[in-house]
Amino acid sequence: MAELRRQPARQQSPAGRPPFHTWAFPDGTLWTEFFRSESGYVLRFPDLADFEVSADGSTVTCFPAPEVPEATSQHLYLNQVLPLVLSKRGKLVFHASAVEVAGGAVVFAAESGRGKSTLAASFAVSGYRFLTDDGLVVEPTAGGHEVLPSHPSIRLWADSEEALIAPRVDRAAALSYTSKSRFLAGEDVRFCDQPRPLRRVYFLGDGSAEVIQFQPLRAAEALVEWVKHSFLLDVEERPRLASHFDQVARLASQPIHYRLDYPRRFEDLASVGQAIVDHAREEIAAA
Amino acid sequence: MRLADRLSIPPEVMTRTVGEETVILDLATGTYFGLDPVGARIWELVGEGKSLGEVCEQMLEEYEVSREELEGDVLRLAEELAGRGLVRLG
Repeated sequence: MAELRRQPARQQSPAGRPPFHTWAFPDGTLWTEFFRSESGYVLRFPDLADFEVSADGSTVTCFPAPEVPEATSQHLYLNQVLPLVLSKRGKLVFHASAVEVAGGAVVFAAESGRGKSTLAASFAVSGYRFLTDDGLVVEPTAGGHEVLPSHPSIRLWADSEEALIAPRVDRAAALSYTSKSRFLAGEDVRFCDQPRPLRRVYFLGDGSAEVIQFQPLRAAEALVEWVKHSFLLDVEERPRLASHFDQVARLASQPIHYRLDYPRRFEDLASVGQAIVDHAREEIAAA
Repeated sequence: MRLADRLSIPPEVMTRTVGEETVILDLATGTYFGLDPVGARIWELVGEGKSLGEVCEQMLEEYEVSREELEGDVLRLAEELAGRGLVRLG
């Protein structure tokens, strides 16, 4: 993990140069600006915090905006900055959650709002364990790939919380920029703290399916999906992009990728989970 | 687009072959394009600096296809790739 240094709060002064990359929400609201600096990069979350990242990704310095609680900057670091920094250091990091099924990792990759955390949480409260709720780190191994565990917490919107999480589950401090709550792993929300071999990958659809659907993906389709869901700090660094593309192509060439869609109804989550387990077990049994 | 045209592949555009398909990717713009084996061969010959007409001549030796059909396919693919910024004229 990169070393995080905290500095006192400061106003976000104009950067003096245009960002080389930005992230925005679907409604166009700016979420993150990526700037180059003399020593590396600056990641700016408007009105929340600046994170200075060294050129090699080994150190991160946080400058929270005034009156932003430490819990917020810590959360931004864990969920947004750290995955980007790991990508800079050559790791494969994706917008995806993962759970353990029969000793293997089952991954749910999706853009924000498609239910990957809700799905992971539904497994974690039903006798399975989750490996991550986002910022999935995948490492190549001699026989394939493995999924690394990340922070033992799950972030959920209030409707998912109400449907899945018992009132006694510990929650982290509230955040200033989102109404999502973060629930800490424990006896009720079970976490797997060891790497697990990657067995199945499901790219989540938009919820328009009337019944649960599994559709196998060709390697080229899986490659495009993985690339779309990648964390990448520097989208202009050609050697790193080339190596990322190579790594993802090797991952995508494994015949374990599916598109998964299902109606987004909380009352159906248990049956959706069982269908996924049955589907994933076929692959795990074959492995 | 004409058969006499030569195309260049911008440096930020990369390709990888997985299974029997080739994926062209411009990560900076998030543009993707998938090619079947025939499309991948056209892409390879374009990358060698051949004009579209020279691409067709080479492929007529390699595939059982009519000249008319092949030239139409090559021009259509070239125009589609150019439209997506994955190749440039000249």
